[in-house]
Amino acid sequence: MNHAIETQQLHYRAGKTFEIKHLDLHVAPGSIYGFLGPNGSGKTTTIRLVLGLVRPLAGRITVLGCDVPRDAPRVLARVGYVPEQPHLDPTLTVRETLRFQAAFYATWDWPCAERLRRQFELDEPMAFGHLSKGQKGKLMTLLALAQRPELLVLDEPTDGLDPVVRRDILSALLDYVSERHATVFVSSHLVHELERICDWIGVMDNGRLVIELPMERFKNGIKRLRVAGAPPRVAGPPFVLLARERANGAVETWIVREWEPEMARYFESIGASLRDVIDLDLEEGFVELLRTFRVLRP
Amino acid sequence: MFGVMLYGQWKWSRLIIVLATVAGFALPIISVQGAAQSELSPLRVEELLDAVQKWGVLYPVLAAALGLLVAITTWAPDHRGRHVHALSLPLPRWRYVLLRFSSGAVLLAAPALAVLAGSLLATGTATIPPGLQGYPVALALRFALAVVVAYAVFFAVSAGTARTAGVILGLIGGVILVQIIANVANLNLDLFDRLQILVLNWPGPLAIFTGRWMLIDV
Repeated sequence: MNHAIETQQLHYRAGKTFEIKHLDLHVAPGSIYGFLGPNGSGKTTTIRLVLGLVRPLAGRITVLGCDVPRDAPRVLARVGYVPEQPHLDPTLTVRETLRFQAAFYATWDWPCAERLRRQFELDEPMAFGHLSKGQKGKLMTLLALAQRPELLVLDEPTDGLDPVVRRDILSALLDYVSERHATVFVSSHLVHELERICDWIGVMDNGRLVIELPMERFKNGIKRLRVAGAPPRVAGPPFVLLARERANGAVETWIVREWEPEMARYFESIGASLRDVIDLDLEEGFVELLRTFRVLRP
Repeated sequence: MFGVMLYGQWKWSRLIIVLATVAGFALPIISVQGAAQSELSPLRVEELLDAVQKWGVLYPVLAAALGLLVAITTWAPDHRGRHVHALSLPLPRWRYVLLRFSSGAVLLAAPALAVLAGSLLATGTATIPPGLQGYPVALALRFALAVVVAYAVFFAVSAGTARTAGVILGLIGGVILVQIIANVANLNLDLFDRLQILVLNWPGPLAIFTGRWMLIDV
């Protein structure tokens, strides 16, 4: 399968403290891939590596079938990028910014740009430096969409924006994706936002990929179990045991991943009883996952 | 692409360009004001040459200041945005740098042309005493070259990262340190003099800025 984005054993170091190690990402074409992680986990750096903005120390990056950073200009012509911070010239007006961007993209779609500008209520003569944070976010999204990209790379596109602006931006993105079947790689620490839109999820922590799997499996597979009478050590559970905590008395709380209902039989085999199975939402699952990862990390 | 780059560059540096164009046009005219009389005594001819030479000092100063300021404005928006937008554009980095450089260089043509126009007007309207000649084209060409050299040097320096700046400062510090040690040890070593000769004398890279800048000369 040709992935829209694929990294193999990617290694990058910035300064003495931060490092991305052995990063293997696989973003399927046509998917909306949510890239989750706490602040400072390496999401923005990974995005910059994927776009060829910084060079890795080792490893291989393939984006839309091209090697990065070698073919970065060719890749960037097919990628719409919304950076974490809007890095545009503050002296240029909205109109001038659109003209500037249009000059670099052969696929630039002026009718689409104009429609989005009206939809986002962006005044043409307004200088970029005088736009509000929400308006800047909208303009960045407009620039990424109007170049009709095959792949959208969005680095916390709605971070710090109010709910109305967030909804406007997300609906414009989803409209585009449904119309063009584009791939989206979106990083965020707003777990609930990704839960609504993504079909794949990758979780990053401290420069490493903790997990990468379809959203459904992630959401349905992470459970909180209430277990009574379990021995101190258990061997070979059919699920991934993320955490085990004593609750009250002999009842324990287990956080598990890759849970299936038929696995309840396992508890009989170890002389324990399963009292309850509680669904965790994505945020709780995410927190538990990181907690376990940090405990187990060498 | 070049059109939008040039437009951006014009927006950031138009005040500098306009002021330099006015100064470049006025400077040759002011410098030959003493040549208005047709019959000049040998003493007055010397005074005229003296005035032309004194005003001539301002040409390299103007060229250096213009090159510096335009080079700074060329990179300023990219530095402010940490180059993220520039790097995410779909073109090779060398091509982006070339576009940036050439957009600034094109705008520098205006002050250079203003010096040419001012020089032609000054030498055309003034009565040049016998034995002296006007060099408007040569002066304007020299000014244009000096502007380009200053712009190129400051463009390269301004393009550098903090690490590059550190290396340059380190080198300067090293030279100063060696000179201090040589002075303390009573060694016959004058690094500054040697550097000055190397950089400012022909064929040094900044030789264009030195020497006499004469609109009217023998």
